[in-house]
Amino acid sequence: MAERLANRLLEVRTEQGLTQAALAELVGVSRKTVNTVENGVFVPSTTLALKLARALGQPVEALFSLVSDD
Amino acid sequence: MTSSDIDTADRLTRRRARMLPFLAIIFLSQQVVYFVDRNPPVRTVDHVKVGAWLVLSVVLLLALATGGFWLKPRNVRALMDDDVTRANRAEAFRIGFLVTMSAGIGLYFLDQLAPMSGREAVHILVTIGIATALIVFGMLERRALRDG
Repeated sequence: MAERLANRLLEVRTEQGLTQAALAELVGVSRKTVNTVENGVFVPSTTLALKLARALGQPVEALFSLVSDD
Repeated sequence: MTSSDIDTADRLTRRRARMLPFLAIIFLSQQVVYFVDRNPPVRTVDHVKVGAWLVLSVVLLLALATGGFWLKPRNVRALMDDDVTRANRAEAFRIGFLVTMSAGIGLYFLDQLAPMSGREAVHILVTIGIATALIVFGMLERRALRDG
């Protein structure tokens, strides 16, 4: 059974009125990193996922979840 | 890490993504001159040609391995060498390695039909490896920068 990582980064970020660049600055990464995680192009490391969750004031499970493709 | 660092890194990353495939094409097209005249280098100009290829190869390899822009501030360079960039670079090196090995196998058989010197074989393999990795890295970086 194939599973992939889904995320609510875009939704939570826009709810908080943050741009990609602003979130990137909070986390200390490039805007490209935020963009690729949001788009599902890049699966973030545990460290990056935790940093994103901390910056957005959310538990990491609220941002990322595993979904089945079947 | 300031917003100015992030803006600068973003701008330079876009420039790098545009530049790398273009550099690979220039690098590949320049190789034609080396194979037009297949005699071993004897004249000074031949040694200069081979030296120029070697220097360009080392510079491109270092740019690929480190991300380039060596004179930029450390913060900006760190942002340009983040998780996504490292993952893209690793994938570019992986594909570059596979293509180089395949080319090596191809050259092994080709050598039986049209013998070539060790120098020519090394030249072809190094050129193919670097050009492939540059193109793949550039394409992956462009995809990563695409919005939506």
